[in-house]
Amino acid sequence: MTASAHIVPAQAQVRRPGMFQQKAWSPYVAGIAIGLLQVPAFLLISTALGASSSYVTVGGFIAALVDPGIIQIDYVAKHMAATGKNWWQVALVAGVALGAFLSMKLSGAHRRPISPIWRRALGTSSPALRYAMAFGAGFLMLFGARLADGCTSGHGLSGMAQMAVSSTIAVTFMFVGGIAAATLLLRRI
Amino acid sequence: MSLFTSILTGLAMGVVFGFALEKARVFEPGMIVGQMQMKNFIMLKVFLTAVATGAVVLAALHGFGLIKLAPKATFYAADIVGGLVLGIGIALAGACPGTVLAQIGAGYRDAIFTLAGGIAGAVAFGYAEPALAPLLLTGGPGKLTFMDLTGVSYPVLAVGFAAVLVVVLVLLERWRPWRAELGADVDGDFGSAEDAPGAPASRLKPAE
Repeated sequence: MTASAHIVPAQAQVRRPGMFQQKAWSPYVAGIAIGLLQVPAFLLISTALGASSSYVTVGGFIAALVDPGIIQIDYVAKHMAATGKNWWQVALVAGVALGAFLSMKLSGAHRRPISPIWRRALGTSSPALRYAMAFGAGFLMLFGARLADGCTSGHGLSGMAQMAVSSTIAVTFMFVGGIAAATLLLRRI
Repeated sequence: MSLFTSILTGLAMGVVFGFALEKARVFEPGMIVGQMQMKNFIMLKVFLTAVATGAVVLAALHGFGLIKLAPKATFYAADIVGGLVLGIGIALAGACPGTVLAQIGAGYRDAIFTLAGGIAGAVAFGYAEPALAPLLLTGGPGKLTFMDLTGVSYPVLAVGFAAVLVVVLVLLERWRPWRAELGADVDGDFGSAEDAPGAPASRLKPAE
């Protein structure tokens, strides 16, 4: 009896973390916050949320250092142009890194350099293998996204919300490809 | 809006986006690979909630005549092949083109390689585009939407679609409560039976 009577006030002293300090939010709260970002995107920039175009913008400038001729390709030149939409999206993805960093600092969480799931998914803990694989996977991800003209954000969040047929097809096959690869090429995590 | 203001707007919106991705835990490789292996549904929950929210707010803005929709053109081969390649990349990266930046912000080192590979992939597509365009980015029905297919107006269709998604989400949450999908370190990692610190000793053969 006396022991438990001491425990209760001690627990009451532990302050509940504020919303920004919490390690995880409900996926529904976070999803609503992300969906609401369409409002400033459409009203201020006249575009929808997206991420993968910015890779062409940044990649175009990096490639131009080695091959200035790349700006002769219309597709690349269009993405490198000094337009609000192009650079808004580059700033958006940079902001994503900053926002995740801030959220992490506020919650006091720490990540290891490589998620522990990869050791099980790959059957090895070799960082070199994981880094090489990440590079190849990133390559496929953006080549596919540019071919489909959108990624999880542009086709997924924005295209589906706009009831576009192209986006519904792209997202369906994105899950088909993702499920097939995760099932056939990776071990169960 | 000037270029500079657009950049500031993008940065501010990105911070909110990244903050929400981090709090949702959906940027974790464990969540993304877990979703593709159909053992964790946090990604689908965040994704469908954001689509439903977007559909409702865009329906309102469109209904008041404040915005013009910008659906992407339909090219069947490009949408299918591109979608498949993108999906394979997502599963093997454990990231999407947007969430890889959140992984970098959170301190995952392999995400730097995913980002570098992504930039290389985008540049490679830039070089390939003039050759691929006549094959894959041609023909097709243009900016086809479900409004064209059904004859229903956008606000009605979008709100109806959002309502269906809400029902799906309610059922999904009943089937798989989100708190049970986070894992001890909120990264979608549940360890394997052998790794667990309190793994039952009964797995070991009794020394007889």
